[in-house]
Amino acid sequence: MKSALEAIGALATGFATTFKHLFRKPITEEYPEYRRPLPERSRAVIVLTRDPDGGERCVACYLCSAACPVSCISMQSAEREDGRRYARWFRINFARCIYCGLCEEACPTSAIQLTPYFETCERDILKLVYEKEDLLVEHSGKDKEYNFYKYAGVVTEVGDKGAHEREEKPVKIKSNLP
Amino acid sequence: MPKLIIDDREIEVPAGTKVIEAAERLGIKIPRFCYHPGLGSVGACRVCAVKFLEGPFKGVQMSCMIDAKDGMVVSTTDEEAVNFRQYVIEWLMLNHPHDCPVCDEGGHCLLQDMTVSGGHGIRRYLGLKRTYHDQYLGPLVQHEMNRCIHCYRCSRFYQEFTGYHDLGVMQIGSRTFFGRYQDGTLESPFAGNLSDICPTGVYTDKPSRFFGRRWDYQRSPSICINCSLGCHTVASGRYREVVRQEARYSEAVNGYFICDRGRYGFFYTSNEERPRQALVDGKEVSYDQAIREAREKLGELIKSTGPDAVACVSSERSSLETQAMLKKICQTKGWQGPHYFLDESMAQKVKSASSRLESGLAVSLRELESADFILVIGADPVNEAPMLALAMRQAQRRGGKIAVIDPRPVSLPFEFHHLNVTPNEVNLCASLLVKTAVDLGAATDLEQPGIEFYQAIPKLETVSSSLQEQIAKVAQELKESKRPIIVCGTETVRQTTPALAADHALLLQATNKQAGLFYLLPGANSFSASLLASEDGSFLETLEGIENGTIKGLILVERDLLLHFHDRQRMELAFEKLELLVVLDYVNSRTQQRAHIFLPTSTLYEAGGIFITQEGRLQVVPRAHLSGTPIAQVSGGNHPPRIYESEIPGGEPRPGWQALAELVHEEPQPDENTTRSSVLNGLSELNPAFATIPAIDELPEDGMRVSSPEESSPRFSLDWIHELERKESPDKSLELVLVNWTFSTEELSQYSPPLMKLEKEAAVFMHVDDATSLGLSDSDKVTILLDRGALEASVSVKENMAPGIIVMPRHRLLEWQKIETLPKFVSHEEIKKVSV
Repeated sequence: MKSALEAIGALATGFATTFKHLFRKPITEEYPEYRRPLPERSRAVIVLTRDPDGGERCVACYLCSAACPVSCISMQSAEREDGRRYARWFRINFARCIYCGLCEEACPTSAIQLTPYFETCERDILKLVYEKEDLLVEHSGKDKEYNFYKYAGVVTEVGDKGAHEREEKPVKIKSNLP
Repeated sequence: MPKLIIDDREIEVPAGTKVIEAAERLGIKIPRFCYHPGLGSVGACRVCAVKFLEGPFKGVQMSCMIDAKDGMVVSTTDEEAVNFRQYVIEWLMLNHPHDCPVCDEGGHCLLQDMTVSGGHGIRRYLGLKRTYHDQYLGPLVQHEMNRCIHCYRCSRFYQEFTGYHDLGVMQIGSRTFFGRYQDGTLESPFAGNLSDICPTGVYTDKPSRFFGRRWDYQRSPSICINCSLGCHTVASGRYREVVRQEARYSEAVNGYFICDRGRYGFFYTSNEERPRQALVDGKEVSYDQAIREAREKLGELIKSTGPDAVACVSSERSSLETQAMLKKICQTKGWQGPHYFLDESMAQKVKSASSRLESGLAVSLRELESADFILVIGADPVNEAPMLALAMRQAQRRGGKIAVIDPRPVSLPFEFHHLNVTPNEVNLCASLLVKTAVDLGAATDLEQPGIEFYQAIPKLETVSSSLQEQIAKVAQELKESKRPIIVCGTETVRQTTPALAADHALLLQATNKQAGLFYLLPGANSFSASLLASEDGSFLETLEGIENGTIKGLILVERDLLLHFHDRQRMELAFEKLELLVVLDYVNSRTQQRAHIFLPTSTLYEAGGIFITQEGRLQVVPRAHLSGTPIAQVSGGNHPPRIYESEIPGGEPRPGWQALAELVHEEPQPDENTTRSSVLNGLSELNPAFATIPAIDELPEDGMRVSSPEESSPRFSLDWIHELERKESPDKSLELVLVNWTFSTEELSQYSPPLMKLEKEAAVFMHVDDATSLGLSDSDKVTILLDRGALEASVSVKENMAPGIIVMPRHRLLEWQKIETLPKFVSHEEIKKVSV
């Protein structure tokens, strides 16, 4: 008898909880009607950013593709007429990407960055292979200031020898005068 | 043999070994920048510091500067030494730019490795960084002086090791600069090595600039087939093409370095115009269809006129497998050939060279470096085989004396005696030299033929007094030497010269000298071609057969007849007479374009193969990557196409041996590897010299020497004296001497874009006396009337060459193939100055 009462009590508590929730404001967010703003540093789709002066940041140094644990990044580096090294083509296979962010950590020029945007589902898997034109964006992403070529010391349109940040004037090799 | 203890482990090393090398033998790699095993030590970079705990030295010392001694106790991990090395790295990094991402050295940079392993991460010094302006150093080497850590490897290599002086050091202290006096192309044909030896990115490889990182390359051991030396290389492939080639260390052949022709001569394999599709009458068809048609047409031909109507020609750039397969086919089918040489006299020269190279005489390229006297007979090292010049330079640096007997204006990056006699006098001059140096009384164990040979050499007085003086001077040096080596070329010498060189080496050996013999051959696989070549029939006979209609079908395997044969017009007419011309090749040669049926073959990098160098060293090259059109060409520079299929685009080419096997056999053929091993197993039937070689995977790293049976060739022949008596040249005419140059003449490197930029203008060389009598001066333009028309070239007037000859390079841009017969003589009237 006692156990029957206990069972009824338990049922009643359960139903009471359910009943109580009928009148509470729901905490479920209706996706895709409502899109929750994600933290800036959350890791989803990868982009290639530009430096504050509008130049492509990526110098195709292959560090991201070397760091990538699933080998989803491939590229071909080349030289522009102005001396800048750039990616002739740059491909990320998002069907393979695990969004670990190691590429972003490896990038020495702040070019490759992960963004919070994650809605990339496709029925055709080949559509998940992004080329450079799909990846390149018109802003600097999370790093607003850095321009690699201002520090690198190589000759580009950003500066001649000795004209970069924290550089001495070039050594005059045919004169002993300072 | 001093015994020392390094990091608690004992090791015994030969006297004179540096501590850094001793540690390396134990597997301990002490950091280094300036030390390089090929260049030795200078102690400039201070990063190899170790602590000496016991023994003749105490405290922190540079391990590259101290010879291993008995009783030394060395610690590489002592705190004081580790701290010292850390500080050195930190101050080397003070001025190093922040440009690793755009530096091609990144990934195989010694400085990068040392910085990371030294634990240096944050630059503490806040001062400004030193900068330099860079220089243009030519099409092969990119200069970026900001990255320099002043280790002096480049200037030591360039000036001391190779003997060229246009790159060196300027300024002092922290302003030290390495480069040229002004912008300009580096003169040394070994300049590409700068990218290899620079421990950081000051000199980087220009043709592969910004192409990829070391870790992405498919690196595969390979050898160079741009001359007969067979230097070892590493081929770096990526995206279905070889993009870079570097030197690979070889104890026996090239040491640590290679020449620029070998380093950059590989571009034929990724040439955009390379034919990768089988063609029948100029139309693209599938490989199998082309083979079927070829087989049908050959069958018809043989049915109507017999197997004699088909002839085969191969070349010296084909692998041993391909050469042997062709030979086997000719034997079983009764076809004519195969001919590997176009010139009968060249075939004879190579034959006598390969048969006279006894194991007691033959020396390797590295052994040549230990010679104390080198006598070069009829060779121009820098132009024919640049690495030979580098080896001779090492001998000269160790005090060796060098004499060159050659009619050409030979130029070498070191001091040498040049006996610039005419081509006819080369044999005589060499013999007089050896006769003067050899005292017959000392040659006790010389056999009777040798004594007769010695006595048959004419008296020194037969030549001009100035030459007598020169010979006497050089002979004195030869007499004093203990380890003389004779280097004999085959390109411009008479037919008897290779055998004569061997006889002279024997004479020297009989006088208790440790004499050596070293030949230069015309092509990468000439040696194996001469082992396979049949005794009867020459290429000229085959050509006559085509002309008179007895030969109707011709199979050319990796051979460009319109490039190599000296009479292009005659060749073209012969091609028109042929009913069937089958060409198998991997370059888009003129000959390939004339083919009725063309079958693409794969290159050394795609098929691998066996090559035998000029010293008889058999070397196996593994495949580096599969055949296929490079991705860069498939995609036109843009991203790779987004279509996926199991076939590799442009993957049609097959190894020469496989294509040949399929061409002749009715039944389907097994795969490449089976065909290959069946050819290799049957090698000893073709020549007993092959009987001694083991299976491919059992061959040692440096290959092994194949030696011809000893009794094959008679010693001490006197043929050369009879040759002397024949007076060949008509009076008042100049002999045309066709020669090779470092760049622009060798067949495969002609397809290399960076090397094209290094080519010199096609000029003919003339002695100053001949030029004066013709009224010509330096850099005049002349037309030379040859048998098939005139040829225009500029003249370079030289004093250091033989009179009575015109030296003409087989330059890519010079149509020299207008000669009816060789040797060719040009009379004064046939040379006319072009007025500008």
